[in-house]
Amino acid sequence: MNREKAELLLQKTFGLTAFFDEQWQTIEKILDGERVLLIEKTGFGKSLCFQFPATIFEGTTIVFSPLIALMRDQVKKLNSLSISAQCINSEQTAEENSQIIKDAKEGKIKILYIAPERQENGEWIEATRKMNLSMIVVDEAHCISVWGHDFRPAFKRIINLVKLLPKGLPVLATTATATKRVERDIVTQIGDGITIVRGNLMRDNFKLFAIRVNSEDEKMIWLGKNVEKLSGSGVIYTGTRVDTEIYSNWFNYLKISSIAYNAGLDTASRIAIENGLMNNQWKCIISTNALGMGIDKPDIRFIVHTQIPQSPIHYYQEIGRAGRDGKDSCIILFYNPNKDRTLPEVFIEVSKPLIEKYERVTNVIKSGLFTERELIKKTNLKQTQIKIIKADLIEQGIVREVIYNRTKKYEFISGSQPLSTKFFKDLRNAKLQDLDKMVGYVTTTGSRMKFLCNYLGDNLNRDFNNCDNTGLEKIKVLVNDVWSARLQNFRESYFPELIVESRKSNIVNGIAASHYGVSNVGQAIHRSKYEDGGDFPDFLLKLALKAFCKKFGNEYFDLILHVPPTKSGDLVKNFAEKLSQVLKIPISHGLQKIRQTREQKIFKSRYLKRDNVSNAFSYTNSSEIVGKKIILFDDICDSCATIKEIGKLLTDLGAVKIAPLVIAKTIGGGLV
Amino acid sequence: MNKDTAYWITLAHDLPGRSFLNKHGWTNEDKYDLIKAFYFDNKISISDFFELSEKEWQETYKLNSQQTNDLLQAKSKIPNNAFEAEQLQNNGIEIIERNSPEYPQYLKNNLRKSAPVILYVKGNKNILKERSIAIVGSRDASEIALKFTDNIAKLASNNFRVVVSGFAKGIDKQALDSAISYTCRSIIVLPQGISTFESGFRTYYRQIIDGDVLVLSTFRPKAGWSKEFAMARNPIIYGLAEEIYVAESKFSKNRQGVETKGGTWAGVIDGLKKGRKIFVRQSSPDENNVNNILIEKGAVAVDINGEIISLPPKHSSGLFD
Repeated sequence: MNREKAELLLQKTFGLTAFFDEQWQTIEKILDGERVLLIEKTGFGKSLCFQFPATIFEGTTIVFSPLIALMRDQVKKLNSLSISAQCINSEQTAEENSQIIKDAKEGKIKILYIAPERQENGEWIEATRKMNLSMIVVDEAHCISVWGHDFRPAFKRIINLVKLLPKGLPVLATTATATKRVERDIVTQIGDGITIVRGNLMRDNFKLFAIRVNSEDEKMIWLGKNVEKLSGSGVIYTGTRVDTEIYSNWFNYLKISSIAYNAGLDTASRIAIENGLMNNQWKCIISTNALGMGIDKPDIRFIVHTQIPQSPIHYYQEIGRAGRDGKDSCIILFYNPNKDRTLPEVFIEVSKPLIEKYERVTNVIKSGLFTERELIKKTNLKQTQIKIIKADLIEQGIVREVIYNRTKKYEFISGSQPLSTKFFKDLRNAKLQDLDKMVGYVTTTGSRMKFLCNYLGDNLNRDFNNCDNTGLEKIKVLVNDVWSARLQNFRESYFPELIVESRKSNIVNGIAASHYGVSNVGQAIHRSKYEDGGDFPDFLLKLALKAFCKKFGNEYFDLILHVPPTKSGDLVKNFAEKLSQVLKIPISHGLQKIRQTREQKIFKSRYLKRDNVSNAFSYTNSSEIVGKKIILFDDICDSCATIKEIGKLLTDLGAVKIAPLVIAKTIGGGLV
Repeated sequence: MNKDTAYWITLAHDLPGRSFLNKHGWTNEDKYDLIKAFYFDNKISISDFFELSEKEWQETYKLNSQQTNDLLQAKSKIPNNAFEAEQLQNNGIEIIERNSPEYPQYLKNNLRKSAPVILYVKGNKNILKERSIAIVGSRDASEIALKFTDNIAKLASNNFRVVVSGFAKGIDKQALDSAISYTCRSIIVLPQGISTFESGFRTYYRQIIDGDVLVLSTFRPKAGWSKEFAMARNPIIYGLAEEIYVAESKFSKNRQGVETKGGTWAGVIDGLKKGRKIFVRQSSPDENNVNNILIEKGAVAVDINGEIISLPPKHSSGLFD
């Protein structure tokens, strides 16, 4: 088919008049049954490069995509053009997915979007035997490279699949963010005569600013003062989950409409927030990088980072979500040279667990076939670490993931080579160099756009005038007393919530006086608990009372109970007695430990924390609990497993409400 | 896994088989002739062969229009088989092609052109290169036959032989259990597709990762057990072994009440015809089996310990020499 004829069809099917040259270059090869890696910026029209040929081919095109939101969006658009497209994903019911698979087997679907993880599903593989397959597309192909910013182990299987596909079956891999190194890695992995089509990744419509600050306060104050002045709606990326909460509470305090988004939210909340973003429900969303690539909103007008990402490619990927409509968009990066390198450095350092932990996992796997949860329990490692270790062991051919009886288990590969640590060192060094480059983006005196393009491997020979080094006015942060006082007031009135409610328990979400580690509260607790510093100081009592009044001030309670300690003697009991005196609510010391537990912080996973306290408590005189509304006090709460366990016990004994109050909530566990 | 694996799966399973109803269908012999023609004579890979035009298939490979059509139909299945191959690879199942140096020599020598096009295996492939014996016999085995099986497995272990067995009840299961208990290496030849053997992979996980057990199947990976497969598997068991030990052969009645001679009988008779070394446990008169008839037909009689009792003229050597 020549271009002229193809463009006539394009007009008829898609209502578009012409292809860009790079689109046609790609499509021509695909129509000839070739393999192409297409690297083009967001908004270029990469999807058309497979959607158009898919409509010409006889059979079904399968698109592997990690982004459910994007799949849904594209399916909607294709269906509106009368092209039969569907997606299979974990957010649909099993029945819906089965029906789509059935339709695909019957040849009723032209384009089928599917998550790479689906390759693990037996029903899907069985169905692929009966489909008439015409093309395979690997979307977000940078996810196949460990050198990329978003390596996903599930893509490994897609690469293995592509290697096994016959000659003549077209394969298209697409990405908007690939450095030369990632590009080389993709080519090596897919291999076999793949053609690279690479466009330039520059975004003219970005207005790029980098703001150097000396403290977190300066960031919060500048944003408090200016975010409303930025046009349209946007996203503020923070480095941690806790920061999403703090910033959204700060904005809330200032009556700026915003919402926090992070991976700790349940699916329904995440979808609700994504939908709200599409409808400009808030001025801004404050998010970790969990707010995914899948957000296909054309008019995100600003993106602010309160923390430097790990590398320029992470940064390019995240700001890439702004201004897809081509209109001006404001891109701001804050950088505090005294502090902001620490977080990405920690991420890099903890991205690979200690070698001893790899050995621990390997030995357990050698001793039998276990599920992920069993591995967590047997090794006492955190789920996040187990996931990394598993992925690395699989990557190095030491372990494989098998599915027996619909359950994933891990199998040792007989005769495999020992773990190679050289790779970890190389990867760590590469990441630290990338972090240097990220700081280089802030400190550069040249064009910031050109800096990013060079990093990505676009060697553009042209000038840019779209940043604060090339013509735009630099942003300066001015702090005055009014704003400093405002921030101080906010800090004294902001209390983190304890999310502990569950269906089978009468426990309600509680409140903490502070986050452990973001203020002087943590130090004070530490002194009392571990440095013989005596009772918890009175300022903690004031803070705890303030938190309590804010959350439960208008409610009536019958009784205060406190969690019996593991190690720290009467600190908690004494503090609870003071609370009882001030609040004039009777206290009871009836909660008892009926078996020895260990300090919760020893345990790295929530499964083991839960097991540690399971059935560990009793109540001496249970009749005094029946029908009562209870305040349950503890000093520190991490996973809240203890509080939830006691909540269950008190519910069973007849308590009608259990309201947890703690001095500090730790910010360990999931940072993002 | 080789990048051409999906093509091999296609050649193995997607051509119509020869049957009473389809006299023009493909046998393993036909497929071997084709492999010989493209791989050994014309020195091209299977993927290159499938990429040839129909004209070249007909002219160079002398295929008729029916065969060409069969190949074209099969070719359309290669992408689908790639998905299956990837899943096998992920589950640690490997495919050994007919022309691979890993393809067991015994199987090639014993079955010649009718050896299967591909073998699906999981476990230590080196076991296929070692000297091996098969222990076969009835599902409904007597105590003495089970004891014999145990004795032979022990002997195999002492002599560093691999034990090949068929994973059925009775003698097969005893052969495997005994082999494992004597830390003797084993090949399990499945009467089903290899992907349906999940419970077995769980049960024998340690033996597989320690390199003591290899699981092998020749059928479509997801095919469940069938009587036809059980029968079709017997020649593979016999073919993989250097020597064959028969613990017990029994006639039995099928569901319709008709007496059948059973798989062991058929396998031994076929083996004897091909001149294989087959050792049959001599049974006492009170036993209800046909072992002694097999000895009359030319098998070597052995006692409960596997010692040779009498040697028919054409056999020249003893056990495990």
